[in-house]
Amino acid sequence: MKKVYIIAGIMIALAVSLFVMAQDDLSTYSNISEAISTGDRVKIAGQLAKDMEMLYDPVQDPNLFTFYIRDNEGTTQKVVLLQPKPQDFELSEQVVLTGRMQEDAFVATDVLMKCPSKYKDEEIYLKEQQG
Amino acid sequence: MIDGIQYVGEHLWPGQIGRAAIFISFCAAILSGFAYFFATQQREDKTASNSWRKLGRLSFGVHGLATFLVIGLIFYIMVNNYYEYQYVQAHVDDDLQFRYIFSAFWEGQEGSFLLWMFWHVVLGGLLISSAKQFESPVMAVVSSVQVIIGSMLLGVYIGFGPEAFKVGSNPMLLLRDTMDIPLFANADYVTLLEGTGISPLLQNWWMTVHPPTLFLGFASTVVPFAFAIAGLWTKEHRAWLKPALPWALFSGAILGTGILMGGAWAYEALSFGGYWAWDPVENMSLVPWLTLVAGVHTNLIARTTDHSIRSTYVFYALTFILIVYSTFLTRSGVLGETSVHAFTEMGLEWQLVTFILLYLLMFGGLFISRLNSIPAPKKEESTGSKEFWMFIGSLVLLFSAFLISVSTSLPVYNKIQEFFDPGYVGSVITDPIPHYNKYQLWIAVFIGLLSGFSQFLRFREINFSNHLRPFLIHTGIGLALAVALTYLSTTMISLQAWQYKLMMFSGWFAVVTNVDHIISFLRGNLKAGGSAIAHIGFGLMLVGILFSGLNQEVISRNPFIMDGLTEDEEAKRNSVLLIKDSPVPMGTYEVTLNNDTIDYLTRTYNVNFARKGENGETIEEFQLTPNILYNKDFTKVAAANPSTRQYWNRDIFTHIVALPPEETDINEKKAKEDSLQYRPFILDVGELYSYADTVPISRADTFRVQQMEIQLLEVFRDATHPDYIAEQGDLAVGAKIRVRSSELDEDFIADPVLVLRGEVLYNFPAQINPLNTRVKLNEEIFNLVYTAETELGYQEFELAQGTEFEFAGYKVQFAGFNKNVTLPTYEPQDGDIAVSAMFQVENAEGQVRAGQPVFLIRNSQPLNLKDEITDFGLHLRFVSLDPESEKARIFLAYQEPRKPQAAFSVATRSFRTDWIALQAIEFPGINYFWIGASLMMFGLTISMYHRIRQKRAVAS
Repeated sequence: MKKVYIIAGIMIALAVSLFVMAQDDLSTYSNISEAISTGDRVKIAGQLAKDMEMLYDPVQDPNLFTFYIRDNEGTTQKVVLLQPKPQDFELSEQVVLTGRMQEDAFVATDVLMKCPSKYKDEEIYLKEQQG
Repeated sequence: MIDGIQYVGEHLWPGQIGRAAIFISFCAAILSGFAYFFATQQREDKTASNSWRKLGRLSFGVHGLATFLVIGLIFYIMVNNYYEYQYVQAHVDDDLQFRYIFSAFWEGQEGSFLLWMFWHVVLGGLLISSAKQFESPVMAVVSSVQVIIGSMLLGVYIGFGPEAFKVGSNPMLLLRDTMDIPLFANADYVTLLEGTGISPLLQNWWMTVHPPTLFLGFASTVVPFAFAIAGLWTKEHRAWLKPALPWALFSGAILGTGILMGGAWAYEALSFGGYWAWDPVENMSLVPWLTLVAGVHTNLIARTTDHSIRSTYVFYALTFILIVYSTFLTRSGVLGETSVHAFTEMGLEWQLVTFILLYLLMFGGLFISRLNSIPAPKKEESTGSKEFWMFIGSLVLLFSAFLISVSTSLPVYNKIQEFFDPGYVGSVITDPIPHYNKYQLWIAVFIGLLSGFSQFLRFREINFSNHLRPFLIHTGIGLALAVALTYLSTTMISLQAWQYKLMMFSGWFAVVTNVDHIISFLRGNLKAGGSAIAHIGFGLMLVGILFSGLNQEVISRNPFIMDGLTEDEEAKRNSVLLIKDSPVPMGTYEVTLNNDTIDYLTRTYNVNFARKGENGETIEEFQLTPNILYNKDFTKVAAANPSTRQYWNRDIFTHIVALPPEETDINEKKAKEDSLQYRPFILDVGELYSYADTVPISRADTFRVQQMEIQLLEVFRDATHPDYIAEQGDLAVGAKIRVRSSELDEDFIADPVLVLRGEVLYNFPAQINPLNTRVKLNEEIFNLVYTAETELGYQEFELAQGTEFEFAGYKVQFAGFNKNVTLPTYEPQDGDIAVSAMFQVENAEGQVRAGQPVFLIRNSQPLNLKDEITDFGLHLRFVSLDPESEKARIFLAYQEPRKPQAAFSVATRSFRTDWIALQAIEFPGINYFWIGASLMMFGLTISMYHRIRQKRAVAS
């Protein structure tokens, strides 16, 4: 048996064991009730609740932005994002948050937004009407 | 589609030619591929092979010209803003500056495919002139790739009805071909169109240089792959290794540079706050680079020892297939929400999958059928030989590429699962950065160590024991120095865990051993030192990653601490509020927001950093100028650009994360101003007014009453204001107003200014932040301060020098002319002839005032500048001058002097808007990373030159 094969074998074994270990790094998108019941650090996806209050007052605290999301079970949840309000946040529909439940709020450290496709309306092709 | 409309204003010819050129380019590539295929197949028959090859060359030439024509036409329609073309409409607008036209070109998928094809054409040209015996098979592969990429631009449908497959997306289509909207019922719809333009984030220098470099990197991976196919195809398993090597080195250097440029762009111009974030798109450009570098190593082994030929085949093929896979991931939309910079979907997924499978099968089939004929020495490499450890290194690189690919491909795996089981819930990596870091750390450690000691080993070592002594000595020196340097590093930064110390050691080990290699073995001959230089670079890069990554420190720490946050969460809270002129401590600095300036859409904030000594003296001071870019309507911030202070051993990086809403959106500013409840006043100078002001406290129903005291102190003309630049003809009025509230036992002085320039009013209100109060002057103030000319009954006088006379009860003396006019109201211009008349006026009480009206000729036009003796109520004009008699024609008018008054308004509850939220991060040792990375690319380039020279030397 060649040494190289032995080493390659070790590497394959290592890769398999690493991937087994890496299962801990994985999570599925949770819904809000799961996030509440487990209290773990999870990713949740939901619709931005545009009918609820969105609050960002940098003069009070530039790293605190609160808003509400609604998941596909219809649960509405307050979110505290520990970051400045991202650009164009109001325009986003779907948001993906990484964080955990703490008391009554979902404390998020990361946010990814999905904005609606920009090629939907006819208006974007047209010049603005004068006057 | 609406039939029977004759459209006006469309430019159809570029589209017609362009679509034809795309088709010709596609067909010529097919022809070229076939011709080169037969030239290879019939290589035994020289004449047939030669004529096939000629046809191949010719058709590749036609293909190249047609491709260039398409590119040229797209630029043509873009430069001319022909919005009737979908691609122009989507990527250009009227405001696009010419220097960003390239960025606009490759912003879209079609443009970037064309860029890729462009480089293939250029590389194909070089291969035709240099590949010699391998020209036919190599060009057959290159042409076939051009066919595939070219098909992405065809934009035709195959099949009928809902079953039709869309093949490619044609960049030369008209907007009305791509969609059906009521707009096209207008015959002159073209005049109504407006471009979308490119994202302001992409309007910068990096977007001009990064994509072409990266795509040259992508494109160049086809060459080693094509040589590998050529080797298998023609069973020349050894001969292809030599010409492929410099190409692989070239590809490694360019692709690496392209990736680094992406990192530099993210770090310097975008506000990602770092150069690498393990984003899927970044990962998938790194992975082919890793396999390519592995291939370069096995290629070297194969050239010198005959070992690893099979691995070299596999690595080069893998590199190219991974490049295509990376294209698939970034362009198919499969990454979805896991990446910040993937393209949007374009419906080309199946085409890209075919692309991958085609080449995978082609290589796989060929490789298996040729496996037995590939030379492989029976005797295995000895453990003491260089080739053994280099091969191990290549395997480690492959291992790294494998780990990264699998993790990055998780969304693909989810999609496949969903396909079979629609109810499948896909999983995601919760925190990607630590996930990748914890595995790749070990790769870095291994590669660092291997690239150190293997330099002291020799190829084809038979008798290692004879060389054991020098090997041990050099490795020992390396170990000792690396330990010392690692220890030194730990005194500068904190390496929290032993794993990091090990990685630091491994980085330094690679640096010192390779420096030793250059000194002891190459005797300073840098031409042959490409490999050593590249490995020094790699080691230094590891050191830089640890310095800047582990010890990056957010200095804009937030003073508010929220309860119950973990350390990691607290670390995310990394921005600080900076109020104008109020210093905030950050790290070792005192940071102050100074003024800001606006230049068209860019607003730049000047932020002062000062480091104080023990006695409060300033040791060091510098300005950082982070800026934001507004959109065209000033209704939102389109991009925030960082500003970085660079030292040799660290960077201080700042970027603006938030502005007051009023400064973000002009409508917000108007709304805010309109919502202010101004109380108007007209007061005499010295007059005091006080009133009770009710202020609601946060929640409704609670109020607090403050007693406000307003006193006008002074009114003056020719006012100045820091934001106001005076122009001739301006009327600028200012006032000093004392404001006091019962809430604070302190007087505040507001000095608002109002300027009338032509017909336009410029208001410079004064904001008293401690009282949240704003004071502005009202328009009526002009009537209170100035008298309208029409109300004045001027009398005319012809006066000689020295004349004295009575006017309206004043004793007026015309003292003489002044040809050297220096008055604040007069701004000299070239060619002016200006004279003033000097007057002395005395009233009954014996008080004397001076007046000096000016007469001037500017551009052959007579003009005069009025003077006014305000407290006497006298108005003076110098209307003309008789040059012969030297008499001046003077207009004089009297109007009862008025009490100085001012009209102004005061609003309480006006909140301050002179702040920004700033993020500041200190990156220590980031230059080790950039220098290391650049050295690595430099080393690859030197090796490439070295190999090309060797090749030439052998040939001649």
